[in-house]
Parts: sequence; C-alpha cells; structure tokens
Amino acid sequence: MSDGLKMVVLLKQVPDTSSKAGVNPDGTVDRARAKKMLNPFDKYALQKALEVKRAVGGEVIAVTMGPPPAISVLSDALEYGADTGYLLTDRRLAASDTLSTAFALHKAIIYIGSDVDMVFTGLQTTDGDTAQTGPQIAERLDMPQITYCDRLEMKDGKALVRRVVEGGHQDLEIPLPALITVANSATPLEPKRFAAVYKVRELSRDKGAYDEKIKTVNLDDIDVDPAKTGLAGSPTVVGKTWKMGDIGGTCVMFQGGAPEHEVEQLVERLTTDERGIEELIQ
Amino acid sequence: MSDRIEYDVALVGASPSNLTLAYRMVELATGPLRIAVLEKAKEVGGHLLSGAVSNPRVLKKLFPDWDNSDFPLEGICKKSYLTIVGPTGWADVPQLVMPPHFDKRGYAILNISDMAAYIAGKIAEKAGEKEGVVVDFYPGFPARSILFDGDTVIGVKVDDTGDETADNLYAKVTVFGDKGFVSRDLVGKLNLRQNPQAWAVGVKEVWETKESHEGQVWHTAGYPLEKGHLGGGFIYGCKNNKLIVGMVMALDHENPNIRPPIALQNLKKNPVIQEMIKGGKLLKYGASVLPEGGYYSLPKKFAVSGAVLVGDALGTLDVKRFSGVDKAMESGYIAAEVITGALFKGDTSEAGLAGFQEKLMNSFVGKELYDSRYFKRTFQEHPELLNNVIPTLVNHVESGRGVITASVAYGLADPIGGLKLLGAKTMMDNPSEIGPTKYNEDRTHINKSYSSVPLEPAEDYDEDTIHTAADIVFYAHTHYGEENKHIDEFDSSVCGQCVEEYEGRDTPCVGDCTAEVHQILEKEGKRTHAMALENCVQCTTCEIVCPKTNLRVNAALHGYGPDFSGM
Ligand SMILES: Cc1cc2nc3c(=O)[nH]c(=O)nc-3n(C[C@H](O)[C@H](O)[C@H](O)COP(=O)(O)OP(=O)(O)OC[C@H]3O[C@@H](n4cnc5c(N)ncnc54)[C@H](O)[C@@H]3O)c2cc1C
Ligand SMILES: Cc1cc2nc3c(=O)[nH]c(=O)nc-3n(C[C@H](O)[C@H](O)[C@H](O)COP(=O)(O)OP(=O)(O)OC[C@H]3O[C@@H](n4cnc5c(N)ncnc54)[C@H](O)[C@@H]3O)c2cc1C
Ligand code: SF4
Ligand code: SF4
Repeated sequence: MSDGLKMVVLLKQVPDTSSKAGVNPDGTVDRARAKKMLNPFDKYALQKALEVKRAVGGEVIAVTMGPPPAISVLSDALEYGADTGYLLTDRRLAASDTLSTAFALHKAIIYIGSDVDMVFTGLQTTDGDTAQTGPQIAERLDMPQITYCDRLEMKDGKALVRRVVEGGHQDLEIPLPALITVANSATPLEPKRFAAVYKVRELSRDKGAYDEKIKTVNLDDIDVDPAKTGLAGSPTVVGKTWKMGDIGGTCVMFQGGAPEHEVEQLVERLTTDERGIEELIQ
Repeated sequence: MSDRIEYDVALVGASPSNLTLAYRMVELATGPLRIAVLEKAKEVGGHLLSGAVSNPRVLKKLFPDWDNSDFPLEGICKKSYLTIVGPTGWADVPQLVMPPHFDKRGYAILNISDMAAYIAGKIAEKAGEKEGVVVDFYPGFPARSILFDGDTVIGVKVDDTGDETADNLYAKVTVFGDKGFVSRDLVGKLNLRQNPQAWAVGVKEVWETKESHEGQVWHTAGYPLEKGHLGGGFIYGCKNNKLIVGMVMALDHENPNIRPPIALQNLKKNPVIQEMIKGGKLLKYGASVLPEGGYYSLPKKFAVSGAVLVGDALGTLDVKRFSGVDKAMESGYIAAEVITGALFKGDTSEAGLAGFQEKLMNSFVGKELYDSRYFKRTFQEHPELLNNVIPTLVNHVESGRGVITASVAYGLADPIGGLKLLGAKTMMDNPSEIGPTKYNEDRTHINKSYSSVPLEPAEDYDEDTIHTAADIVFYAHTHYGEENKHIDEFDSSVCGQCVEEYEGRDTPCVGDCTAEVHQILEKEGKRTHAMALENCVQCTTCEIVCPKTNLRVNAALHGYGPDFSGM
C-alpha cells in the first residue's frame, strides 16, 4: 500500500434518530438503550475518501472514538470499502468535550503515521452538532483545513477542491497533507457491494485477522496524558438543557384544485410575494 | 477460483419458509455448515406481509414455548366469526353452520414481519453455539438472476460489478422462498409448470384502536366485492389495541379495475368496522399477493438439480383453509431434512433432492392441499355461488336479517338452487375424483367491456378513518433511490395500444395497482402509460394482470421498497 494516498476518515457513532428506542419522555437520550448508527454526515466523508482512492489509489483508514460497541461503525466502513479501522476506546475518555475529543483524535492520527496525506471528517454530528472537532484536529496537526468541501479532485499531487460558501462556491488548490470536512451536498455514500460485505462476514469469524484489520487502541497506546481528556480535560460546562417547544409558524394550505394549479400557486407565492418565504418558514 | 463466494446452501428470501429451513438445518447440523440468506428488504421482515391467523403447528416445533416467551405473538384467537357483510349490514354465520375451516380458535395471530426478525435472531444464536456453523444474512441484497450450469442451478447473481467473482454467490443447493420473484425464471426455463398459478391480491391496514379486540377474528364475505368476485375481508384483533383490517381479492375476475385499496376503504365504511376504528390511528398500509391455485398449480417437480422451491414460490398456500404461513414453514422444515441428507451424501442432484416432493406430499401440506383441490373449481363450476347466493345473502343481511333467515329465504325462493348448493358444498369439502383442474392465467379473465355494478358504500362514516388511494400509500413508508428502476415495461408501444383499447377507463395495471404507481397521463391530447415507481410496494399485481404480458416487477436493489415491519 505504499503507492497512493494514506487517508484517514473520522467516523462517529450516534444515536439512531429514526428509532424511538431510548428517547426519554423529556426528550433526552438514554445512550445505553438507544439504537446506534453511523453519523449521517460522516457518510459523505467516507464517500469522498473512497472516491479519491478509486481515482489515484491508496488506503482508507476509518477511525472512531467511542465505547467498545462503536467498533460496529468500523465493520460498516469496511463493508463500504474502507481498508482498515482503528477504534480508540478508553474509560478515561468518558465525558470528553470537543476540546478533549479533538485532542485524543489528533493523537490517534499521529499514532497511525506521520505519512497521513488526508484526513476527512463529516461536517458535524447529529448529536453533538458543534462542527468543531475537524477544525480543532487540523490546528493541532498543523494541517491546512478545507471546511465545507463538496468537490475534490486530485491533480499532480495537489487537491483541487470546491468549498460551499454563502451565496456560492470557492475553488481552491491545496497541497497535501490536509484535513477536509466534507459538506452534505457532496456525493452521497454509494451502496455496499456484495463482495465487500461478504469479506467482512468472513473476517468477523477469524479473530486474528479481524484484530489485524480493525485495531483497538487506548490512551496509553497513542500516548495521551489522561489529564488532557475525559472529564478532566474538558473545560466545557453544560449549564442547562431544555426542550424546545413546538416550532409553530403559520401553515398555508393549497388545496381543492388540480395538482398543477396548486403547485403554480405555491411557486407564485414563494417567488412574487415578498413575505412568502418568511411566512412559510416562520 | 479460490476467491469464489461459496456456501453450502443459498436461501433466496428471508421468508417464513426459508427461515424455518435455516433454523432446522442449524438444529440438525453435526458438522460444518455454511448458509447464506439473501433478502431484498433492508432488514429481515421488511418486505413481509401477511394476515395472519395461523395454525401454530410448525411454530411449536421450532419454539415449544412460542405462546409463553419473547416470541412476538400478536394474540391467540379466542373468538372466530364468519360474517356476511353489506354496505351497512353485518351478520355472523352461526357457529353451528359455519364451515369448520373458518373456526380459528386456538390459532396464533402473527405478524410475520416481526416473526421473521425473531427467527433470524434465534438462528444467529443457535449457529453461534455450533462450531463451524455459519449463517450469513444479506439484507438489501436480492438475488438478481439464477446461475445455471446446464440444467443444474449453481447459485445466484447478486451484484453487477462485471466481475463474476464479486457478483456471484455459488451454493450446492439454492432454495427459493421468494414468492416467485426470481424463481419464476427457474420454473420457466425448466418448464416445470403444468398449470398456471392463480393469484389473489391482499391489502391490509394496521390500526391502533381505542378499544381492544384482542383474540377476535372475523372473516367476511360479500360487500364490497362485486358479483362473481372471489375473496373477502379479514379483521384480526391483536394485543396493545392493535387491529388489522384487510381484504383479499382474486385476480381472475372480469373487472379490469378492481382497485384494491379503495375496496378496503369501502369495507371500512361499514358501521360495525367504523365502530371499531373510530377515534383510532392508522399505523401502516401494505399489499402483497397470494398464490391460490393450490394442488393443481404445483409445479411438476419441487426440486431440480441444485435447487428447491418452498412456500408460496412453490405454491403451498391452501386458500380453503386460508393457511399459507404454516404450510410455507412446514415446506421449509421438510426441505431442511432432505437437504441435510443430500449434503451429507454429497448428492445434491435432482435425484438427491427428489425425496422432498414425496415427503411434502405425505405431510399435512400435501394432504390438505389435496383435500382442498377443488375449492377454486367449485366456484368455476357453480358460478351461482358468487353471482347469486352471496349477493342474495348480502341483500338479506342488508335489510337486517340474520344469516339463517337469509339462507332459508334463499332456499325457498329457489329450491333447485338450494340443492345445487349442496353439490357445491360436497365438492368443496368431500370431493370425489373429477380429474385435474385447468386454470387459465388470471389476465385472460379480464374483460375490457366489463360494466361494474358496485353496491354503494355507506355514507355515514368518520372521514378520519378513510383515506384516498393517494394518501394511503404514505402508510407503506416506501423509500427508493433516485436511480431506482425495478419494473420493466417491455414495449411502450404495446402500452400505447392498450391505453387506446381501454379508452374511457383505466388499463388493468392502473386499475389494480395497490399503491398508485401506474398512471395514465394526458400529454398533448394523447393518453400514455407512466409509472411513479417511488410508491411501489412490490406486490407484483400489475405484472399478473397486464393483459399483454408487458411488465415485469423485479426485486428492487439496496433494500429499496416499503417498510412492512409489524405487518
Ligand atoms: C454525554 C455527553 C456529554 C458531553 N459533554 C460535553 C461537554 O461537556 N462539552 C462539550 O463541549 N461537548 C460535550 N459533549 C459533546 C461531545 O464532546 C462531542 O460530541 C464530541 O466532542 C464531538 O463533537 P461533535 O459531536 O460536535 O462533532 P462535530 O465536531 O460536529 O463532528 C465533526 C466531525 O468530527 C468527527 N468526529 C467527531 N467526534 C468523533 C469521534 N468520537 N470519533 C471519530 N470522529 C469524530 C466526525 O468526522 C464528525 O463528522 C458531550 C457529549 C456527550 C455524549
Ligand atoms: C394479505 C395477506 C393475508 C394473508 N393471511 C394469511 C393468514 O391469515 N394465514 C395464513 O396462514 N397465511 C396468510 N397469508 C399467506 C401467507 O402470508 C403466505 O403464504 C406466506 O407468507 C408465504 O411464505 P413464504 O415462506 O413463501 O414467503 P413470502 O411471505 O412469500 O416471502 C418472500 C420473501 O422473499 C423475499 N424476496 C423476494 N424476492 C427476492 C429476491 N430476488 N432476493 C431476495 N429476497 C427476495 C421477499 O422480500 C420476502 O421477504 C396471507 C397473505 C397475504 C398477502
Ligand atoms: S402495462 Fe400492461 S396493462 Fe398497463 S398499460 Fe401497459 S399493456 Fe396495458
Ligand atoms: S406497481 Fe405493481 S408491484 Fe408496484 S405496487 Fe403497483 S401493482 Fe404492486
């Protein structure tokens, strides 16, 4: 695997928002009972890495930090076509905020190798939702960072990227290594291929080979001072959480006419009446 | 060659039959065994839909504590009714004269979707306990086509990367429990059909109601079916205030526009059902087809070299007893034993698997199918049953009479008819041999110029309980990717011609679709056939009824389709 690029994709396991399991009546989540899934935003990151691999060759390494069951997002990543995985798990990581998460993950990337060419992250998560982890890691690794990337093409060892910015796009050419947070307007993750899924099924039955492909590491392995992670390393204080009320707003119904006519009315309302859009989203 | 994806057994469909088969094979395994289960739904059970009230005889064999464990039972039938229904009338057939096969007391009320997920979990548990026993589930990966070596089935094609090693799944035995989705190609290629299959379509809703009807089971006859149309309604009370309301309608009726979802809405307008569902909440909607041909639609061979057919793919459903689930499961149970033996002997040729047919025909499956063999034919030979008797009963019930009074009234009005009925009853229940039955394909019964004579539905109903066909589709929770295209329309000019022939009404695909997929669009003054595939629940009705054989419904890829969990 010495040819091509060495790419790390950061993946996070989050509570499955489509499942009601583990949602308390007050809207908080019981993480132990909740069904889990791969953070939907991270699928775009994984897809980008796989696209680059397909285009110029290389290796895609999936990395996640979380409790032991989070290893399933790595098996999942392998089924989608990633090559190897690292699970960073340690009791001392519990209650980490973004500062300490980014610290631990940047150390994990250093542990994986000084020759990492690209780090891909999702835009944000569906649980923490801060969108801070990627940028913090880039700073700590002293890598240039491209946020909100939705297109990426490799040319002569450089990456031609397109960022989504308010009101348009920004095209950039960047040298590697770099950290890229991938926007959700990028290509959606392609469905799994049968042979890849089959291989992971086979792998899961060969403990030795499995541990070789998907390595589990702790803070000591990656040389992290426990004081910098977990509760101890997390300055954030959650003051209060509260349940948001109903979204409210007015609802305008177009009904009774032919569908074509109703759609026309809706479009007209949205485009000509200046208050139209505000009224609909209020 | 060593990279080939190989298993001992490939199961097409995580169906009641195939899951029973896998469970039983794991139970019987004394050495290494590798089974792959392909399922087109995103999750096991995701595309499974049934009634279902079922004799628990096979369930008991798998899980002796089925009625007292974490098995997802919806209830046990405590009261069983056969009911004659009109737009407003409702009369139960007294227990004394009710045909015994309508008495479902003691039967399990199942939702086979959750049942399948449960069995899959138990298979994984059991396989985990046995060294060398592997059962791999591949939800979201349908078998796309069958791989042959001459006339021997050597596996199925699952992917299409273009690289055979990555795309093909090879197995010593491939078992089709797929309701015909791909196995019809096997039946076609090896010319196994002696008589076409006869199909019915079933539509169903799951409700959460204000009051519990747990353990009560109604089968209804009469309204809203038109004269001559075989079928009926079913209402099953489940635990947690769930209520199932559904209808099954044969597809060999003359009417080109039977509109299954609308028929179900009309049935629900009956005041008795209204009383049950008023103030409740619709949870799900779905549809699926049932092979009703029975004994005479069974293929010549149940197993060929390298392959076995089970369940509805084989045609084990017994429409007289409304028994599909238990027979499908039994077919899997028996196939498991035959395949285990064949693998042990190293002979999975046609001869090695041939024991299956004999064993199945000697089991309750074969015996009951034989006993019911003239059920459908009775209605062919006694058209007065569906043309006069039922409509007359409905008329009487509609005017407030009980079934007995209504029957007596019928007998007096037409004594000869009464006698003929006795003949029909004998033919159904105690048939003497009158030779094989011949069916014509369902599509050939459709009559372009059929004029519909429906009974007007009740007008006094709660609007919140009734949905338009377009709205009901939402409750099937279908999901498809933009690139999806799972129904082939072979020749658009054939459709164009068909649309012309059906001037002034809908073509059969439009009129019989259960999910508002097929449409006729007016473009520049011309009517053309179009499909909104994102609605499709993959019931295959349109393919069955298309009079020009111009459609094929394929298994959609990537787990796309409805979400029938809990159905
Ligand atoms: C119980 C609990 C308590 C918390 N308390 C605090 C707190 O006190 N203070 C605070 O600031 N935060 C707190 N958090 C949030 C938590 O620290 C963040 O979830 C985490 O730091 C990642 O940030 P994010 O989820 O906002 O990810 P984002 O920054 O939105 O994620 C961006 C990308 O970073 C990557 N990424 C993020 N997390 C991981 C991971 N674990 N493994 C691999 N890749 C990852 C993914 O690619 C992701 O798409 C708490 C979370 C929990 C569950
Ligand atoms: C509305 C309705 C009501 C019914 N009520 C009753 C009742 O009350 N009692 C009763 O006993 N029976 C009833 N039945 C009949 C019963 O449901 C069937 O007989 C039974 O489900 C047949 O089981 P099977 O094992 O053949 O599999 P099926 O139920 O036919 O399942 C086939 C499976 O194969 C999968 N599949 C199909 N093609 C592919 C492919 N190419 N690749 C991978 N997977 C594929 C499907 O997604 C599905 O999971 C009813 C049926 C319907 C439709
Ligand atoms: S699909 Fe069949 S029924 Fe529908 S319009 Fe075409 S030919 Fe007619
Ligand atoms: S398009 Fe065909 S398969 Fe799909 S829901 Fe309609 S009738 Fe069923």
